[in-house]
Amino acid sequence: MASEAPLAFVPTSASRRLKANLFVVLAAIALILALIPLVAVFGYVFVNGIRSLLSLDFLIQDPPADLSATGGGVRNALIGTLEMTGLASIIAVPIGLGVAIFAVEVGGGLARAARFLIDVLAGLPSIVVGIFVYATVVVSQGHFSGLAGSLALAIVMLPVVTVSAEEILRLTPRPIAEGARALGLARWRAVLSVFVPIGLSGIVTGVLLGVSRAIGETAPLIFTSLGNNFFTVDLNQPMQALPLLIYRNALNSAYASARDRAFGAALLLILIVFGFNLVGRWLTARRRLAGSPR
Amino acid sequence: MTQSAHLAELGGLRRRRWTGDLIFRLILSALTLGITGVLGVMMIESFVSASPVYQKFGIIGFITGVTWAPSFTVYGAWAFIYGTLLTSLLALLIAVPISVLIALLLTELAPARLRGPLGIAVDLLAAVPSVVYGLWGLLVLVPALRPLEQAIAATLGRVIPFFGPPTPGSSYFAAGVILAVMIVPIVSAVTREVFASTPRLQREAVLALGGTRWDVARTVTLPIGRAGLLAAVVLGLGRAIGETIAVTLVIGNSDNIGRSIFSPGFTLASVIANEFNEATETLHPEALIALGTVLLVVSVIVNAAAIGIRNRFTGGARSGF
Repeated sequence: MASEAPLAFVPTSASRRLKANLFVVLAAIALILALIPLVAVFGYVFVNGIRSLLSLDFLIQDPPADLSATGGGVRNALIGTLEMTGLASIIAVPIGLGVAIFAVEVGGGLARAARFLIDVLAGLPSIVVGIFVYATVVVSQGHFSGLAGSLALAIVMLPVVTVSAEEILRLTPRPIAEGARALGLARWRAVLSVFVPIGLSGIVTGVLLGVSRAIGETAPLIFTSLGNNFFTVDLNQPMQALPLLIYRNALNSAYASARDRAFGAALLLILIVFGFNLVGRWLTARRRLAGSPR
Repeated sequence: MTQSAHLAELGGLRRRRWTGDLIFRLILSALTLGITGVLGVMMIESFVSASPVYQKFGIIGFITGVTWAPSFTVYGAWAFIYGTLLTSLLALLIAVPISVLIALLLTELAPARLRGPLGIAVDLLAAVPSVVYGLWGLLVLVPALRPLEQAIAATLGRVIPFFGPPTPGSSYFAAGVILAVMIVPIVSAVTREVFASTPRLQREAVLALGGTRWDVARTVTLPIGRAGLLAAVVLGLGRAIGETIAVTLVIGNSDNIGRSIFSPGFTLASVIANEFNEATETLHPEALIALGTVLLVVSVIVNAAAIGIRNRFTGGARSGF
């Protein structure tokens, strides 16, 4: 009896009311405790970074060769981040979508093996992904490069894209799938012109969440794109990225100029990441609203 | 059109469809096989790169070796494995109770109108890049924790050396705290999903019997969600083990095993990130890659455990209700 749920609860005993209230208070404290860092991190980065970010020079100039010197901007890192994340998306999205379609439409041993590998990948520390690319691409190329960085980011994105696309494709409403078959559509035709368009907003959400994850990654870039104090768009050269720039300047945060630069870049990075993240969530929410009457 | 013409047309249609599907399948198979192969080769190649170190010290010798001295070409991983375990467990100790309470708050207590925005706020915590947490941790959290560390070292530390000095601020302790901040979103998100899927009927039954919200949590939500909660905790552990840059910036970076929780150290991931670009000694890069393979194996085991628990949980729930 002791361990089982009682059949009825004594109505309003003081101790039970106290426990219930205590529970509510503790839960509220926990939420506040968890939200303090969000407010503190964002607030601190905002206050310290907004001044750099408000000047146009910050976006269109490169940082000084000596981190301790004042002035300069983060152009090289911003362009590097955009270029590498863009290339990573171009690589990861078709592959992720392809594997998801393969897993849903064809299945079998190969699909299971691929999905298992991608599940493993989803749980891997991103630094290990960096080591994978280092041990293959960087070692065989003989030097660090933006291309290697893009590949590492693509591998970081891949599980996010694949898992969400697969979930969406599995949710294709049955009447629509049957309708496509009844119309005599070939399978590939049904997939490409019915199933994928229906799930498009969900697939795009997955891509945006993948991009928002990849864009903030530092660890895999340390061994692949390395970082570069100079501006380059050449994917064969070592390439700078915003997270790398923040990391290097944070390591030199004894200098006020390096600290300011790190905070400006951090604010820029947070805004980009939150932007992708919130647009992705908004798409999902809109789809749920639109789909709810059915 | 005659019947035979119809049939001929249908046959042509079927053949065209068949070829289209065949090409479609071939492209997808090639893509899937390709990516599986590439990922497989990358994993194998990492182990190959690390093999000189494993050959020199032996797998057991490398993992249990307590000395990491690149200038003497001696490499042992134990100090970093210890640092990873210590910081991850500390992070779980702080993050799990908070995450469970948040999940209960968002599923049982909060007004429906607040649940969405609060949930998004917690999720956004997960979207903040690691390096930004690291920057904030280094400049705000570490100085803020120093008085606390000194206070504990001056009281508890007199009796138990594990809580004793030195208290430089950057430490295993600081790393554990920043990790806790970083894993609360993932643990509470999974827990929230688990709690939200507990059967409505049973919850309402408890309320109808005159139970309070706490009675609902105690008698329905927590017991039914136990396995799912465990999966969430293991998933959080996996995250904490692999987190790199934020830890690198606050753990103090020392190759030795710190006697106290307040001493500086290294985790597996942070030593790789910190030393890789300056690894010029003999076998030093190979040893760091070997640490990466240890991290790979550990996180595969931890994540497989989390997936296993979750599958058992969802399978059980389906057959049970």
